[in-house]
Amino acid sequence: MDAFSPLWNGFALAVTPGNLLFALIGATLGTAVGVLPGLGPAATISLLLPLSYALGNSVTSIIMLAGIYYGAMYGGSTTSILLNIPGEAASVVTCIDGYQMAKKGRAGAALGMAAIGSFIAGTGGVVGLTFVAPPLSAFALKFGPAEYFSLTILGLMLATYLSGKSVIKGVIMAILGLLLATVGMDPVTGNTRYTFGLMILEDGFDFLTLGMGLFGLGEIFTTLEQKMKAELVTTKITNLWPTLKDWAISKWSVVRGSLIGFFVGLLPGGGAVIASLLAYAVEKRVSKEPEKFGTGALEGVASPESANNAAASASFIPMLTLGIPGNPAIAMIFAALLIQGVTPGPLLIKEHPDLFWAVIASMYIGNVMLLVLNLPLVGLWVQMLKVPYSILAPFIVLICSIGVYSMKNDVSDVAMMVIFGVLGYILRKLEFELGPLLLAFVLGRILERSLRQALLISRGDISIFVTKPISAFLLGIVVLMILISIFWSMYTRFKARPVPSNGRA
Amino acid sequence: MKRWERIAAAILTFIGVGAAAIAYDLGFGDFNHPGPGFFPFWLSAILALVSSVYLLTRLGADSRRVPLWERDTWVRPSQAGVVMFLYALSLAWIGFFSSTFLLFLVWLILIEREKWLTIILVSTLGTACLYLAFTVFLRVPLPRGAIF
Repeated sequence: MDAFSPLWNGFALAVTPGNLLFALIGATLGTAVGVLPGLGPAATISLLLPLSYALGNSVTSIIMLAGIYYGAMYGGSTTSILLNIPGEAASVVTCIDGYQMAKKGRAGAALGMAAIGSFIAGTGGVVGLTFVAPPLSAFALKFGPAEYFSLTILGLMLATYLSGKSVIKGVIMAILGLLLATVGMDPVTGNTRYTFGLMILEDGFDFLTLGMGLFGLGEIFTTLEQKMKAELVTTKITNLWPTLKDWAISKWSVVRGSLIGFFVGLLPGGGAVIASLLAYAVEKRVSKEPEKFGTGALEGVASPESANNAAASASFIPMLTLGIPGNPAIAMIFAALLIQGVTPGPLLIKEHPDLFWAVIASMYIGNVMLLVLNLPLVGLWVQMLKVPYSILAPFIVLICSIGVYSMKNDVSDVAMMVIFGVLGYILRKLEFELGPLLLAFVLGRILERSLRQALLISRGDISIFVTKPISAFLLGIVVLMILISIFWSMYTRFKARPVPSNGRA
Repeated sequence: MKRWERIAAAILTFIGVGAAAIAYDLGFGDFNHPGPGFFPFWLSAILALVSSVYLLTRLGADSRRVPLWERDTWVRPSQAGVVMFLYALSLAWIGFFSSTFLLFLVWLILIEREKWLTIILVSTLGTACLYLAFTVFLRVPLPRGAIF
């Protein structure tokens, strides 16, 4: 009973009317952005960061922002199933079988299974978070600057490794993010760096300006390339509750999806997108009838939708316990905590137990809210899909602008956001992943501080990073990953080489 | 595609070299007492190195002959970028209310090519809604201009 008392205290705080209201607002907004294509959870959280600042209460604002993140995972499936367009990136694979089911008149079953699978996986993920986070946090208390330096490097390396097709492009983005974080005043000596005499750069780039530019405006610019035309499946949505046969088909898919999602979500850079792709691939591999996939297989909806929700819950673990955000949306929540004066990391559970447990408790409640929002109210979300994107786009860019302006009441921040928006668009066009850039930007100051502290402790001896066992182990994994990626790249190049013919032509 | 990637890699290499030179001037210090340029120097050097390796991998014939922009798909994003930049500049001059109304108008006419009734309705109601939401309810002190 004693072991659960912090969680009960968290529930006591989470069920206060104000917190319940903001959990509901977060879940509703999350579902809305999940449903709407062209606006992801990272952009929405960045949009609402100024509001969370205005709320003043760290517990309430994080409850709301967390709700947006896991709510988006629920909402994304609706658009995938009914419109064949992913509402957000983690629902890409749901389109394949979900839309086919909808075309065959089984939209209700697909939507219902997606919501129920999401509920089971999301709640399972929070149970995992409840039990894994405290011991991991206690273990991380042993970490000194050297261990933190190595852990941050490992986090960044994993993020670049898992975020896209090209590791080298990911590495470039991560270094660029770290460099951008050094702009402004040096925290130790007070010297200004890379400001070029511009006053606007003396405080460095603001996380919000960067995030909204790269993810908010950048996404809008990319979406503007094509006029969005899609065919909404308009048949009446009935029978949302899965039949016994549906359960029999997909129960193990939900379990597999949840487990895959949870473990992938733990990794920096893993997140919901990779979890859903992996879950779909595994489901197809283990299926006795793989040919069914792509023609409307219920397992093809249940498994990835469970995986993205489990991953969303699990990705809170490294952020809350180690202070390492794993994906852009979680990095936004990390920034929100910093704005509120709360530093995520191993000390969080000790210094702010109320916040830690209230957020976890609110996630249990939020998952129930989302089940209600997504099953009986699915018709409402379908109506929202009828609002043309051409009308929504100017609203989104204006809300981004007001959000950035309101942080410091400075118009130059809006101009800076536009510059980052253009940069984000160009980088997207060149197939550079923006996730590592944002994560590196967030972690840049932590990395520099731990590097300097470690060197100060060791009196300039860089072997401190390999003589401390935990640090050496973490760096060992980094080296192993680099070697594997080099050998893999050489192997694929070798395989792709044309075989010379023996005979002369 | 490769041509654009080569240009990007060259720019990134140049940024790396330039940033490393600036960082060195800032004061490198030593391993015992790292200066303000210590961390950025190593980052810039790694950026230059990795970007030049990336440049090398992009040399040679392009196996994926995919253009960066299909036909004129670049037009609407470019228009949006320019409109947004002008909006940022006009905020300080003519205030939130007028510049927001203008942004709606220009966006819906130029970028979205909407019908006139939609343009007028969305521009008027949209500006009013945003003004009410942010100025009246959330009390954000938005920039004022000649009219509002």
